[in-house]
Amino acid sequence: MSAGGLPVLEAHGLSLTYADGPRRVEAVRDASLVVARGESVGIVGPSGSGKSSLLFLLGGLRRPDAGEVRLLGRPLAPEPEANAALRRRHVGFLFQEPFLVPYLSVRENALAHVEGGQAADRLEALAAAVGMRDLLDERPWRLSGGQRQRAGLLRALAGDPDLVLADEPTAFLDQPAGEAVMDLLEAQRGRAALVVVTHDRGMLARASRVLALADGRLRPA
Amino acid sequence: MAPAPLSARTYVLRNLRRVAPVLAIQALVTCLLVAAITPTNAFRATTEAYTASMQHMTIVTPRERPLLDSTLRAVLDQNPHQAAREPAKMFWIRTPMIVGEAWAPLLLLAPAAQADLLARTGCRLVEGRMPEPGSAGVVVHEAVLRARGWVLGSAFGEEVDRLDSTPGRFEVVGVLAGPARLALGDLQRASQQDSVYARQLPFEVVYARPGEEEDSDAWLAQARIPAGAGSPLGLPAGGLAFRVVDDDLVRARIEKAFVNLPLVLGFITAAVAVVVALVTALLDLLQFQARLDELALLLAVGHPRRRLMQKLAAEGLLVSLLGWALGLVLGLAVLAAYRALVLEPRGILMQLLDARPLLASLSVPLLATVVGALALRARIRRMDPVAVLQRRGA
Repeated sequence: MSAGGLPVLEAHGLSLTYADGPRRVEAVRDASLVVARGESVGIVGPSGSGKSSLLFLLGGLRRPDAGEVRLLGRPLAPEPEANAALRRRHVGFLFQEPFLVPYLSVRENALAHVEGGQAADRLEALAAAVGMRDLLDERPWRLSGGQRQRAGLLRALAGDPDLVLADEPTAFLDQPAGEAVMDLLEAQRGRAALVVVTHDRGMLARASRVLALADGRLRPA
Repeated sequence: MAPAPLSARTYVLRNLRRVAPVLAIQALVTCLLVAAITPTNAFRATTEAYTASMQHMTIVTPRERPLLDSTLRAVLDQNPHQAAREPAKMFWIRTPMIVGEAWAPLLLLAPAAQADLLARTGCRLVEGRMPEPGSAGVVVHEAVLRARGWVLGSAFGEEVDRLDSTPGRFEVVGVLAGPARLALGDLQRASQQDSVYARQLPFEVVYARPGEEEDSDAWLAQARIPAGAGSPLGLPAGGLAFRVVDDDLVRARIEKAFVNLPLVLGFITAAVAVVVALVTALLDLLQFQARLDELALLLAVGHPRRRLMQKLAAEGLLVSLLGWALGLVLGLAVLAAYRALVLEPRGILMQLLDARPLLASLSVPLLATVVGALALRARIRRMDPVAVLQRRGA
C-alpha cells in the first residue's frame, strides 16, 4: 500500500462504532492504511460516510473499537490523552472549520503549540505562499472565511509535522483559494505524509493514491 | 517581553469584556469587606487613645479598708519603685462613636499635679488657661472637644444636661493637645463639702520610676495591710492593701471587649467568600461553555488536559486577584474619604491600613479560584474534543 519511503502512518484493522440515538453506526470497519513520507493519500466519500471519524482515529484523537495506529513506528495509545505530546510534535491537523483561538493573532494561533525557534521563519514562508503574510498579526474576527481556513492551514504546518491530516480543507473556499490551499498541502509532501479527506475528488488530482470510504470500508477509488 | 500566547495574562488582557463580571464582583465584594471591617479598628484605636494616660500612671484604691487612710499611705510610701504619688478623683466624659461610645478620663488633681501629669503624658495646653484652684474649670483634650462639639466656655455635666453621665457642672477653660486624650480639673473644688464630687472618695495616682512601672505595679498588687494596724471596721490585718488599676488591666479589659469581634468578622467573611465562590464558579462554567471551540482545538492539537486546567485556573486566579486589587484601591479610597469627612471631625481614630480586612478579603478570590478551578476541572475531564469539533464542523 505504501508508495515508498519510511511509513509515517500505519493503521491496521481499525473499527469504530458509535450510537446515533437508538441506532448503532459502524463508521469505520476494518480499515487499514500505510502512508509513507512523501506520499499524499486522498480519501473520498459522501457526507456522513465516516471520513472525519477515520481521520480522528488516524490522529489518535478517538479510541478505536479495534485495530491499531502507529505513528513513526510507535503505536498510539488507545486513550487519546496519552497521545497528546506525540500529536503536538508530529501531527498537523487541518479541520473542516478552522477553529482559531479568537483572542490570538494568526501568528500566535500558528505558533502557540509549536516548540522551537525555526517555526517562526517557517511560518513567514508558509504565509507568503498562501498570501497571508500581511495578515499574520490580525485577529481571526478580521479575516474572511477563506483567510481563516488558510490561517488554520498555517497552524497545521507551522510545526513542520511528519503527518498532515486535513479534513475537507477546501470546503468553504472558492476554486482559486481551494487550489492555493491544495498547492501548499502538496508542497509539504517532500517533508511529510499527507492524508486529505474530501468529498471533492477534483481537489485530489495530484494525490499519490485516492481511496473511497463507503459503508465504513476503505477501498481503492 | 511579550507574554506567551496562551498565558493567563494574554487571555485576561485581550478579553476584558468577558472577565469583567467576575472582576467586578471580586472588586465590589473586596471593597465591601474592606470598608466594613476596617472601621472596627476605630473602636480599639480610639479607646486606646482615651486610656493612653494609663501608660504613665497607676490608680490605687483601698481593697478592704473604706478609706485610703494614713496607714495605707504609709504602705504606699514603702514602694521602692515609686517616683511620686498624688491624691486624685476621676470621672468620665462620654464621647460618641459611630456605634456606641468611648470614655475619656477627667482627672481632678492639685494644680502642681496637673502640670506634672501633662509633662509625663507629653500633653500641653494649646489654648485658654489651666483651671484655677477651687473653680469648676477644666482643660479638655482637643479630640474630646471635637467629639462633643464643645469650645472654650462650653459647660457640661449632669447639672447642665440630665443625660450627661458626668456628675455636677464643669466649664471648659483650656484646650489640651498630645498623645493622651484626657481632661484635667481641680481637686480642691471636688473636695468642697457643697460639691457633688465630695461624695466620691479620693484615690492615689502612683507614678513609678522610669523603667520600673511593671515592678511598681507588681509591688502594689502584692502589698498587704501591716500586722497590728487597726481597722475602723474590725477587718483583720494582713490582707491585700490595694486595688490596682494599671495599664495592663486597662488593656486586658479593652481586649476582652473585642474578644468576639474576630469570630463575627470571620463568619461574615466566610459566608461572603462561599457565596462569591459559587457565583464565580457559575460564571466560569458559562465562560467555559463559550470557549468550547478554543479548548477543544487546544486538546485536539496536543495540549494535555492538565495544562488546560492550569491555564484556566491561572486565568481565574489572575482575574480574581485583579478584582481584589481593584477592590482594595476602591475600598481604601472610600475609607480615606469616610475618615476625613465623618470620623476625624468626631475625634474617632481609624487605621486605614489594617491587615485583618486585607487578609479576610484575600480569602474571597482564593476560595473563588479554588472552587472555580474544581468546577472547570470536572468539565475538562469529561470534555470530548472530537464531539465539539465534529458538531461545529458538520
